[in-house]
Amino acid sequence: MPIYEQTYRRHEARGPLRRVRFWPITREALRLILARRWFLALLAAAGLPFVVQVIRIYVVTRFPQANQFLPVDGRLFGELLAWQALFTMFITIFGGAGLVANDLRTGAILVYLSRPLTRRDYVIGKLGVLLALNLAVTLLPGLMLYLVALSLAPDLFWKWSLAWIAPAVVAQSLAISIVMSLVALAVSSLSRSARVAGLGFFGLLIGLEVARGILYALYRRPETALLSLQADLRSLGVALFGLTERAVTLPWAYAAAMLVTVSIACLLILRSRVRAVEIVQ
Amino acid sequence: MAEAPLVEFKDLCVSYGPVQALSGVSGAFLPGPTGLLGPNGAGKTTLLKTLLGFLEPERGSLSAFGLDPVRQPLEVRRRIGYMPEVDCHLPGMTAAAFVAFAGELSGMPRDEAVSRAHEVLYYVGLGEARYRTVDTYSTGMKQRVKLAQALVHDPDLLLLDEPTNGLDPAGREEMLALVRDVSDRRQMSLILCSHLLRDVEQVCENVIVFNLGRVAASGRIADLTGPRRSVYDVRVKGDPAAFLTDLKDHGCEWREGEDGYRVFMSDGLGPELIFRTAREAGVQVRFLRPGAETLEDVFLRALGHEAEG
Repeated sequence: MPIYEQTYRRHEARGPLRRVRFWPITREALRLILARRWFLALLAAAGLPFVVQVIRIYVVTRFPQANQFLPVDGRLFGELLAWQALFTMFITIFGGAGLVANDLRTGAILVYLSRPLTRRDYVIGKLGVLLALNLAVTLLPGLMLYLVALSLAPDLFWKWSLAWIAPAVVAQSLAISIVMSLVALAVSSLSRSARVAGLGFFGLLIGLEVARGILYALYRRPETALLSLQADLRSLGVALFGLTERAVTLPWAYAAAMLVTVSIACLLILRSRVRAVEIVQ
Repeated sequence: MAEAPLVEFKDLCVSYGPVQALSGVSGAFLPGPTGLLGPNGAGKTTLLKTLLGFLEPERGSLSAFGLDPVRQPLEVRRRIGYMPEVDCHLPGMTAAAFVAFAGELSGMPRDEAVSRAHEVLYYVGLGEARYRTVDTYSTGMKQRVKLAQALVHDPDLLLLDEPTNGLDPAGREEMLALVRDVSDRRQMSLILCSHLLRDVEQVCENVIVFNLGRVAASGRIADLTGPRRSVYDVRVKGDPAAFLTDLKDHGCEWREGEDGYRVFMSDGLGPELIFRTAREAGVQVRFLRPGAETLEDVFLRALGHEAEG
């Protein structure tokens, strides 16, 4: 008797449509990404700045005189997130470059779109992957550092005047994660190769930063910072955490406007690319 | 009583920008297996994509299970299993995980999707290979995975877009046997979109032939290919030009076959006309065999180049 005689049966149960439909997309993509050991190593490496800052707080609580050359205050969190932004770039490249590009290459996008899912569900599902990874290396260590600071040095941090730290960590983490994730997804949707998409994302960030540096060297104008996403994110960090920034920064409102514009442009690219695939393939 | 159609379309027009892909087509897909035939660019895939709610008609209407795919695309898609023509899998995923994932995307609870994925993979003959990543599969196995992901949620209607693409003859026969089994024994309705007439002939009861964005022919294959008129396969010795011209003058049509000519007689005429015409044209009839109109004949006639004569 053929094997299918024994196995196939009709499946009659059919419940109502799910309200949250993107979750399987996010979960499966995260599972595949986190199955790579080197990616876990990268995530672990992203925890190093957190460890360094914890040691810094510990040293200052043990040796208060160290506070003079290792100041421990709200800026500590801004510095942590500046480091974490660097890690989000690599995590986004290695975790996110293939998210849409691979679906385009292997035709898997039709598996998604022929199901009871909207294009929005698909984009949110993919975005959820990068947001989860990026928030894990920005928001999580940021808030954990705040808790560590409160417990190790309550006299330094348990103050009403420093209550802005937690909301600032949340705001900066969200800004870094959302912008990086959207740009990476948009770049990924423009290629069928994860490598090309990864290089494109890296080139875009570095290229714009280099261009900003050259233009600033030529014209000495702070508006040149509008060109670079990292400079815009740094400008937000300066405003939120009161950092003394080495590089040139913009007023935060300009930086925020630029980041919002870039995010909207990325969403439009994604909308157009996913639609184009439906029609062309 | 006639069965209610699963899918109905009336005066349907769909365009890609300035290119009209479907020009006012009307028809219906009845329960059971239906073939969708046509050359490349005829509008077959466009119809499937309109059915899935990917494309919005400019004019006309399309309803599936009584639902409007433009307004209720999710409700329609959950009742359809789609096996695309192009390769589709998720890199790094095993077949079992991939098919279960497809089930979840269709709205099945995770546990149910996992158990169902194993069943369906056994059904398509991949039970032993289900824990291998799909990337490592042969073309035939990838086609089977595509069928499994389309079946996992047990759809009411299965859309198969060129399911035998890239398969060797043995693989093709196995795939067609599976498709037939789904249709005949599991009572699942399906639309088989193909340019391979034999695939459609083997599996389907009904057929719709598309050409240049229009329905060129439709109906039961048995009715379309029945003995409506006499057909003869003829081989002659000598210069056939005059013979063929004379046949045409008598209202017969012909087309060149692999080894001779296929002659479509006009009503009421029999083989004696072929012998008489051959004698008059000075050629010898070396072979004559009565035949029946095949789906290929119907297809070529629908496309407008049945007969050269």
